Amino acid sequence: MAAGGRARAQRPNLDKMERMVVSMQDPDEGVKMRSQRLLITVIPHAVAGGDVVQWLTQKFRVSEDEALHLGALLVRHGYLYPLRDPRSLALRPDETPYRFQTPYFWASTVWPASELDYAIYLAKRSIQRRGALLDHEKGCAPRIWQEHYDQLQWKISHAWDLVVTQAREQLRAMKQRRRGDRLVITCQEQAYWLVNRPPPGVPNVLEQGPERGSCAASRLQTCKSLDFYKWEIEYARKALGRNRLKSSVCLEAYLKFSSQRGPHDPILSGCLPSNPWVTDDDTYWAVNAPTAATPTRLRVERWGFSFQELLEDPVGRAHFMDFLEKEFSAENLSFWEACEQLRYGGQAQVPALVDAVYQQFLAPGAARWVNIDSRTMERTLAGLCRPHRYVLDDAQLHIYMLMKKDSYPRFLKSDMYKGLLTEATVPVETKRRVFPFMRKPRHCSPSPALPTAGPGGGGED
Amino acid sequence: MAREECKALLDALNRTTACYHHLVLTVGGSADSQNLREELQKTRQKAHELAVATGARLTGALRDKSLAAEERAEFERLWVAFSGCLDLLEADMQRALALGSAFPLNAPRRPLVRTGVAGAASAVAARALSARSLRHEAEHDFDVADLQELEREVLQVGEMIQDMEMKVNVPRWTVQARQAAGAELLSGASAGASSAGGMSVEERSGPCDPSKALAATLFSAVLLAAVALAVCVAKLS
Repeated sequence: MAAGGRARAQRPNLDKMERMVVSMQDPDEGVKMRSQRLLITVIPHAVAGGDVVQWLTQKFRVSEDEALHLGALLVRHGYLYPLRDPRSLALRPDETPYRFQTPYFWASTVWPASELDYAIYLAKRSIQRRGALLDHEKGCAPRIWQEHYDQLQWKISHAWDLVVTQAREQLRAMKQRRRGDRLVITCQEQAYWLVNRPPPGVPNVLEQGPERGSCAASRLQTCKSLDFYKWEIEYARKALGRNRLKSSVCLEAYLKFSSQRGPHDPILSGCLPSNPWVTDDDTYWAVNAPTAATPTRLRVERWGFSFQELLEDPVGRAHFMDFLEKEFSAENLSFWEACEQLRYGGQAQVPALVDAVYQQFLAPGAARWVNIDSRTMERTLAGLCRPHRYVLDDAQLHIYMLMKKDSYPRFLKSDMYKGLLTEATVPVETKRRVFPFMRKPRHCSPSPALPTAGPGGGGED
Repeated sequence: MAREECKALLDALNRTTACYHHLVLTVGGSADSQNLREELQKTRQKAHELAVATGARLTGALRDKSLAAEERAEFERLWVAFSGCLDLLEADMQRALALGSAFPLNAPRRPLVRTGVAGAASAVAARALSARSLRHEAEHDFDVADLQELEREVLQVGEMIQDMEMKVNVPRWTVQARQAAGAELLSGASAGASSAGGMSVEERSGPCDPSKALAATLFSAVLLAAVALAVCVAKLS
């Protein structure tokens, strides 16, 4: 169909169903049609449920169950409607007659169905049935339509004139048609509204989750105007400039990350001393607290993975600060910490903090002057006239990269770090408590990834 | 009076929009044909003219600062109904465009959907144009040329709506509809009866229904036979 709005791109199942329905219409290879005989009128183009299932089985070479399921989907989405019992939207593989829905009422054309249209439809029914929205068919729910009708009168009361006038005019226009056509059109409209406003208890097939990305602006982009092409050019230009990463590089990094972090993951490799959720012993949390005195060995090893890890861990940061003090470059880390405080602190403290940072770190002849290159320094000093939260970002990044390239590798090679590694504790695994009345002793940190035959032959569920 | 004129124009627009909606319902189905597309075009043009005329009148009336409060309320009510009607018309035109391009008439690989609607809709179009009957003068490839015109008209209607919104500011929620909750049923019953009566009058004076003509012929034949028999019996006795 024509390029109608972004909403269409989210419903590929409707496109497929429509193509299927159109291929059913082929005069040679389509579904067999028969006529429906009412008392005086004969209406053509009725199909039997069994014929539909048979056609689907032959055309797509699927089993009958699948063909039945496909046909049921077509009926539920409103592309086929049953003639005898319009409320039950199910496909019966026997002689039950169905008919195809007109393309105007396909789910992709009029979507979403508006309240105004629904109000006009209910008004038409109300006029036709002279005041009571009662149905003469079996299994009806007249109160539901009446409730909807009253609700709509309250919701769109300003447009009620239009609703009434349009309902009357549409009924008058319909009277100009033959009796058979009138019946068909009424059935079509009823089927459409049964799908779009299902009675309670029937799931709404057309329901979709929250809108993703672009909103449902369904104006037809048929006229390719100048603005449209300008937008397209801009979009293509931005797309060309985007960074693209080869998937081989990406996957390599992913593999490296997984293999490096594997032994550190408590779910994959078990946690020592024991999983607190299993053994009710929270030593694990106490030992790994952010401000623990002696870090565990795993934790110290993690500091070697990346600079970000080291800085994020408070204990690691403290040790790094000690190291930098020995190297007489502690002002770098202090400056970085002050910038972080600026970024994440309160808005009211921003001017005062910027001033303090300038006095302490950036002013010529300051107590703890940081070494930033001249271009960044110029930019920062220019930005200090209008201080805001991110004014020191460039300088912070420069200092961060400096520490990462220079101090961090030295820290990892230093004696201090090696000492920390040897001093770090490895918690002892708690003895598994074997209850006499339990058949299998429980593992202290069960994990789906651990092999079932663990050390000591422990049983695992 | 300006108000009566506006009301009459709005009624005509409503009628044309309803007829257009009815015609668009059958596009792509088994009743689709060059005639239908031509009827759509004529109805659409008529609706467009009416919309322009009504819009001009209503805009003129509402921008007039020296209007009494009651009259202004009345005009605002008409305005809300008019803009709603125009929205419906625009939506139907967009759908007609989408359906018309998806179901071209002479393409062998894209058959029309067999929906069971078979009759002609010329009476509907005739009602929309307030004409007696409709003559069809379309060429063979009318629908393709028509689609481009339809595109342009859709954009025109969209621009008209936007223009109107810019010129006149009527908040929708302040308008009280004239028709109360059950109004369509009370006047609907009478309108239905009168319209049915009107329709039947038109039907009788127009081209006759074939079944009714057959019944009339049979009845007259039986009557003649009875009269002839009576005359024979009278002559014999």
